[in-house]
Amino acid sequence: MTESADLLVVDELRYAYGDRVAVKSVSFACRSGEILGLLGPNGAGKTTLLSCVAGLLPSFGGKLMFAGKSFEPADDAESRSRLGLVPQELALYDDMSGRENLQFFARMQGVAPDQIDAAVQQGLELAGLVDRAEDRVSAYSGGMKRRLNLAVGDLHNPDLLLLDEPTTGVDPQSRNHLFECLLGLRERGRTMIYTSHYMEEVQRLCDRIVVMHEGEVIGIGTTEELAAKAGKPGANLEDAFLAMTGRSLRDEG
Amino acid sequence: MNTWSAALAIARKDLSLYRRDRTGLLLGLLLPIVLVAVFGSVMKFAFGGDGGMMKVTLWVADEDGSTESERFVAALRNVSMVSVRPRANQEPATAERLRERVKDGEAHHALVIGKGFGELLSKGQEPPLTMVRDPGRQLEARLIGISMMQAMMSAGDGRAMSWMMGSMMRRQGMSEAGVKRLQASMDAVQNVLGLFASGSDPEVRSESAPAAGEASLDMTSMFMDLVPVQHEDVAPPARPKNLGYQLAQSVSGMTVMMLMFGLMACSSMLLIERDQGTLRRLLVSRAPRHALLLGKFIFCFIVGMVQLMVLFAFGEIVFSIDAYRDPLTLLALSVTWAAAATSFGILVSVWAKSTKQAEGLSTLLILVMAALGGCWFPIQMAELPWYGEVITRSTLTFWAMEGFQGMFWHQKSLTDPVMLRAMGVQWGFVLIAAFLSVRLWRKRFLGT
Repeated sequence: MTESADLLVVDELRYAYGDRVAVKSVSFACRSGEILGLLGPNGAGKTTLLSCVAGLLPSFGGKLMFAGKSFEPADDAESRSRLGLVPQELALYDDMSGRENLQFFARMQGVAPDQIDAAVQQGLELAGLVDRAEDRVSAYSGGMKRRLNLAVGDLHNPDLLLLDEPTTGVDPQSRNHLFECLLGLRERGRTMIYTSHYMEEVQRLCDRIVVMHEGEVIGIGTTEELAAKAGKPGANLEDAFLAMTGRSLRDEG
Repeated sequence: MNTWSAALAIARKDLSLYRRDRTGLLLGLLLPIVLVAVFGSVMKFAFGGDGGMMKVTLWVADEDGSTESERFVAALRNVSMVSVRPRANQEPATAERLRERVKDGEAHHALVIGKGFGELLSKGQEPPLTMVRDPGRQLEARLIGISMMQAMMSAGDGRAMSWMMGSMMRRQGMSEAGVKRLQASMDAVQNVLGLFASGSDPEVRSESAPAAGEASLDMTSMFMDLVPVQHEDVAPPARPKNLGYQLAQSVSGMTVMMLMFGLMACSSMLLIERDQGTLRRLLVSRAPRHALLLGKFIFCFIVGMVQLMVLFAFGEIVFSIDAYRDPLTLLALSVTWAAAATSFGILVSVWAKSTKQAEGLSTLLILVMAALGGCWFPIQMAELPWYGEVITRSTLTFWAMEGFQGMFWHQKSLTDPVMLRAMGVQWGFVLIAAFLSVRLWRKRFLGT
C-alpha cells in the first residue's frame, strides 16, 4: 500500500471528558478498501475515537485527514455524507417498518428522491429483509434488527463505514450473516473501521488491526505482525492481544 | 439537502410515529377533551349556563306543613342562588335525617321549618326557623342568607319586612319600645305599598305606574335596589347568551394547560431519540444539524395546532362557546400559543439531561404556571399584592389566558391592544426560548 491509498489519517488525536482523558494522542491510517479493526477492552477509548471521527465529539485535539484533505465532519454536511455509522445501539424507529426506516434515513442522507427506492431495495437485500420489509421493526428479532442497523448505515454508499461493535447480542446465525454482509461490502470496495472486543471476529474480518488500551494505540498491523510484535510469532490474535495487554487486563479484572 | 427539507422530513417522520402511538394520541387529544368536558360541565352546572350566580345546595325539612311554609319552600326553590333538596318530586326529609346529613358531612346547611311557622308568619311574628350548618362554610352561609331573605319577602308579599326588621334590630340591641315604633313605621310603609299594589287608592299611584294586576309588586327587587343605582350593561353584543364566565374560563384554561402537557410529551422525543441512538445516526447524516431541532419544533407545532382546533371544535359543539366567531383572531391566538408552548417544551428538552428529568421539571412548571396563570380558576378575580401580580404576569399561561379569554369572553378582535400585548409577550418568549434552545442544543447535543 502506498501513502496515497490512505483514506483516513488520524494524527495525534486526543479527547478528554473533563479531567478524564479517554484518548491519548492516537495516530493511525485506514487504507482504501480495507477493514481496519479497532480492538480493545471496554473503556479502551474505541467508541470515543470513532465518535471523534464521526464528528460527534468535535472538540478533540489533533487532526483528521480524509482522502488527503483536512476533515471536519462536525461542521460540514458534505464531509459527513462520506461516512456511514453503524452504532452500538439499535438506532432504529421501532414503530416504523424496515422499509420506512430505510426511506427516512435515505432522505436524511440526502439520497436523491428518484434513487431512494433503489437504495431502500438494496438495503433490504443487504439485511435479508425483503420479505419482512413492511413489518414494524418492533416485530423483528434481535438479529434482524442488527442487520437493518447495518443496512441503514450503508444506505448511501459511504466512502467509509464506521461500525461500533455491530454484533452485540446477536445469535451465531445472525452474526455469520453480518460477517458475510461485511465481506460482501469489502468486495465491492467499501472501506470500514470495525470496533469490537471479540478477538475471533476481528481476526476473521479485518485486514489490519489497531490495538487500543487505556486510550492509547499499543500496536498496529496484521494478526501475524501483532503476534511477532508481542514476541509470540504464529500465535493467534487472542494470545497476541493478551501478551500485549495482559497485565492491564488482570488489573481490570 | 437543505435545512427546511431535512426539518420537514423529520417532522413528517415524527407525525407518523405520533399517529401510531395510541397512548400518545390518547394523551394528546382524548384526555384534553375529557378534561375540558368535565371542567366545562362542572362550571356550567355549578354556575348556570347563563353565567348567573353559583348555586349552593340547601336541604329543607318542613315540620309545619302549612300553606305558608309550603309557599316559603316554593319561593326558596325559585331563588337562583340555591338548589333546594329534597326536590319537589322527592320524599320530604325529616329534621333528624337532615341533622345526620350535616353531621356526616353529606350536607353543609339544612333548614328546619318548625311547627307554628304558618301561624306566626300570618300574625307578622318571627316564625321558628333553625339552620343546621357546618360553621366553616361561610361562603355558602352568605348565599343562603340572601336567598332566605328573598324567599321570605316573596312568600309573604312584603308583609315579612316588618317582623324581619324588628327581629334584626332586636338582635342589634334595640329596646322593645324601639322595635315597636320601628314596626309601626314599617307597617305604615307596608300599608302604603299594599295600596299601591292593589290599586285601590288612586292617590298613591302615578299616571306612569302600570295598572294594578298588570305587574306584581316585586318586594325583593325593591329591597335589593334600595340604593338607587342605574344599571348599564356593557357586555359585548356578540357574546353568546348561554356562555358563562366560568365556562369560558374553564374551556380556555384546560385548553391552555393541556396543550403544554401534550407538547411536552412530544418534545421529549428529542431525548428519546438520544437515548435510543437514532440521534447519533442523524447527527452523522448529511442533514444540517440544526434541522433536527427545527424538525422537532415543526412536529410539535403541528400537533399543537391540531389539538387546539379539536378542542375548540369540541367546545363549540358541546358548550356553544362561539369559538369560530372570529376565525382570524382564533387562528392568530392558536398559532401564537402553539408556538409558545412548543418553545417551552423544546427548551426543557434541550436543558434536561434525561427524559425523567424533563418530565419531572415540566410537570412541576406546567402545574405551577397553570395555577398562577389562571387556567384552573379565574385568578384575575382575586386582588393580589403587587408581587403576586408580578408573579402571575411572569407566567406564559397568564398571557395565553389573556388572549383566549379576551376573545371568548370579552369578544376582542386581533387588533385590540390587549390582544396584541398578550400575543406580543408570547412571541417574545418564543424568541428568547429559541435563542436559549439553540445555545443549549449546541452545547449539550453537538458538543460545540
